[in-house]
Amino acid sequence: MAIPVISKPSKKTFGAKLRRYRIAYLFIAPAVLVMLLVHIIPTLQAIYMSFLDLNLRTLLQYLHAPWVGLEHYSRILGGLISGEGDSLVKGLGQALKNSFWFTLWTQAGTLVGSLIMALLLNRKFKGRGIARTLVLLPWVVPTFAVGIIWQFIWMQKGGLANRLLVDWLHIVDKPISFMINQNARFALIIPTIWNGLPYSTIMLLSALQTVPDDLYEAASIDGANAWQKFWSITMNYLKPIIFITTMFGIIFNFFGFGPYNIAVSLFSSDNLGTYVNLLTIAIVRQTFNNQLYGYGAAASVLVMIVALVFVGLWYSLFRKQLTSE
Amino acid sequence: MTTPTIAKKSKRQIRIQVTNTFLTGLTWFLVFTLMVPILLMLLTSVRPRADITSSIAPLIPTVWHFENYVKMWQTLKFGPLFVNSMIVVCTTTLVATFFAAMAGYALARFRFPGADAYSLVVTGTQMIPGTLFFIPLYLTFLWIKNNLGIPLVGNNLGAIVLYVGFYTPISLWILRGFFAAIPPDLEEQAMVDGTNRFGAFIRISLPLAIPGIVSTAIYVFLSAWNELFFGYTLGVKTVPVGVRAFIQGAAGTQLRYDYMAAASVVVTIPIAILFFALQKQFISGLTSGAVKS
Repeated sequence: MAIPVISKPSKKTFGAKLRRYRIAYLFIAPAVLVMLLVHIIPTLQAIYMSFLDLNLRTLLQYLHAPWVGLEHYSRILGGLISGEGDSLVKGLGQALKNSFWFTLWTQAGTLVGSLIMALLLNRKFKGRGIARTLVLLPWVVPTFAVGIIWQFIWMQKGGLANRLLVDWLHIVDKPISFMINQNARFALIIPTIWNGLPYSTIMLLSALQTVPDDLYEAASIDGANAWQKFWSITMNYLKPIIFITTMFGIIFNFFGFGPYNIAVSLFSSDNLGTYVNLLTIAIVRQTFNNQLYGYGAAASVLVMIVALVFVGLWYSLFRKQLTSE
Repeated sequence: MTTPTIAKKSKRQIRIQVTNTFLTGLTWFLVFTLMVPILLMLLTSVRPRADITSSIAPLIPTVWHFENYVKMWQTLKFGPLFVNSMIVVCTTTLVATFFAAMAGYALARFRFPGADAYSLVVTGTQMIPGTLFFIPLYLTFLWIKNNLGIPLVGNNLGAIVLYVGFYTPISLWILRGFFAAIPPDLEEQAMVDGTNRFGAFIRISLPLAIPGIVSTAIYVFLSAWNELFFGYTLGVKTVPVGVRAFIQGAAGTQLRYDYMAAASVVVTIPIAILFFALQKQFISGLTSGAVKS
């Protein structure tokens, strides 16, 4: 990821270096400017805000808002750890749990599903090109439309899932309410997997195509069976892609806006009840509904720390696999 | 002696053939399953409203109600939304991809002081939750509007600036790999012939990186076309924001599923067109970039 820097002992002064690479700085200047404006400056402000007592009145002049130090952090962390926080912190804890399970299931489903699809599409068969194109289609559907489409599947009356289970296959007697209570979890997880599957499949498929055929032949001569060949050869080539796409998948599902868009249009509201109230949705609602801007910022900083720690761990655990290519 | 071997061999061949047929059948079955939601969306968009929530009405309508599209277009005031989204997303795609190409090129070609730190910050931006910075972002844009007179709130310009900032980091990350793969000799040749660095970049390297640029551009287009939350925060009137307002406005009464289905089809069409037109470059760009990075 990071660029290896040749550590040549240089006698040149820093200024001379800067002049020498002037052209490089000019090339990155536009990208740096927009990143400063959209990411860096707002993020620094947000971190500062997380130490303030901010409400709608103090928000616009937030530099003069009262400083409360780590109060928001201790409120959230204390509440989460002791389990005896106020209702907001309890809601946050529930959302954290929801997001954790949501991410786990979505990521596991996407990985297994895309692995199967990629292996199947890597075989030679008639119409392979068409099949590969069609598989990508769910990815083209905008996330806010994904939620709308899946309503037509999950609807209790007239939804496709109930027609299939009750009317056509007669597996179930009575129509199921897919979108309420516990069921709502999978009503959200399945469309998210459906939407994310194509991208993952194409990535794995491209990695599969780099596996040289003679490796399999050599393994066959050595008497390896299909299963052994899959684990020792195929998986070896897939590992780097799996680790990197899984890492980004976990981050985006944990606090990204893709699941937010799907959930909000699937349930036609951002008031999502106990089971599908994801972290992003909960923080946004708590921030706006209660005008707790400092508290919301603190919660988000904690989410960011979780993400950074996760990525750091992921890298140190899988560094070998990530670079084994 | 020979007969049993032949029989054995053909038995094995039959087994392989059966397995192959089964796997091909399974592939098509799964592909079809993945298509079902899209087919259902197309069908629902032409069904009469009452049929959609009825468990006995036929899935394939007897009369196709194409007027759902016309009515949806009028009710949601879809025209202006669509135009706004097109302006915002197309401009964003061009600008973000170009900025990212320049920065990606610089990272691939020069080992300048700060390159490491810069790469780290670029990756780091992806770890910032949107819930953290949307309020200060809004305040910053508001401050710029009030103090510098650049209108960045509630209009397309604000959305363009926002999305260019959003999608440049991840794009330059993808593009760096492509430029690293292009040998620098050609540029040097052009520079010997009297072109400056920027000219060499535009005329030599950029065309060679087309597959990467196309796949990056499609990625940016899709992401910006999808973006709902920040657009809503900034008060931009794009398609996702309009559709969301329509759904939430109707949530109290009865949802117009027929219009929602028609709207879903219409929002999918631009990306589908783009995708099919550029499919080859897209897939080759996506995959070669992935294998390299």
